[in-house]
Amino acid sequence: MKDLLLTEDQRDALQEMMNISMGQAAKSLAQLIDVQITLSIPTINEASPDDLVEILNHSDDTWYARQSFLGQIKGEVLSLISKEGCDAMAELMDYDKPLCDAQTQELILELTNILSGACLSGLSSQLELKSNLNMPTLFNSLTNGKPNYNWATVLLVEVCFSIESFSFNARVVICLEENSIVALKASLDALLS
Amino acid sequence: MAIPVTIADDSALSRKNVRRAIPEDWDVTISEATNGQEAIDAVEAGLADILFLDLTMPVLDGFDVLRYVKGNHQKTVVIVISADIQPKSVELVNSLGAFRFLQKPLKAEELKQTLHEVGLL
Repeated sequence: MKDLLLTEDQRDALQEMMNISMGQAAKSLAQLIDVQITLSIPTINEASPDDLVEILNHSDDTWYARQSFLGQIKGEVLSLISKEGCDAMAELMDYDKPLCDAQTQELILELTNILSGACLSGLSSQLELKSNLNMPTLFNSLTNGKPNYNWATVLLVEVCFSIESFSFNARVVICLEENSIVALKASLDALLS
Repeated sequence: MAIPVTIADDSALSRKNVRRAIPEDWDVTISEATNGQEAIDAVEAGLADILFLDLTMPVLDGFDVLRYVKGNHQKTVVIVISADIQPKSVELVNSLGAFRFLQKPLKAEELKQTLHEVGLL
């Protein structure tokens, strides 16, 4: 039986790494739109694939994107972007208004790339574990059906970026599959020692 | 006499990093705070002539602490150590009277140099 639970020190260190990674992600986006983004305190939770299915469960007010990553740590990044605030965001990012479906899709994928890309690369570089992120795709549980995960346990590392002036928020959830949790714990221990 | 210094950060690892980066020959008494309210309490209790302050913290964040210190304890020297490196966050920190903004992860050499620059070492 693998020990997949994080110790308090490991959890604290991972949270701090995620804090640094999200700061870099926010800087990348803030430089594009010239607006200050409010950062949440990262949360870390053990979960089952059912919990992931639950996170991706359709809600009318949210865009969903999924993106897998492979390497010394493996898993998937889920991005949940509020529909509210997307118009204002599009304007700041120089999209033509009104947004057609194709442009909306492009906007969501661009935001996903900026935020989840910086979060994952920041995390993997601090952990000194290589990983490659695939292109994101939009996801809708009503038309795409339930996602299929062949993992028993996952670790969810979640952050939230929000912009109060136009009610925008984006949740980025990094899901690590169980073998990666073992690699993560070893790497955290090496960095803590 | 030892200078009272408080490290305010919700991460134990991060507080430890700051502690390690503080020059050994600097005569200070170090206290710790794990959220913004505790940081304000430390300032009120006279434990923070110098305050190393994180921005993203629970209860009250670092921006709230800066506002409070600016309004009530202008002699407190605040050095912000944060991962929130957005240009607008740095601007806001400066406008709220912080002495310096240092980026996480903190480098010991950079802290030492900063302490020299602001005349604390």
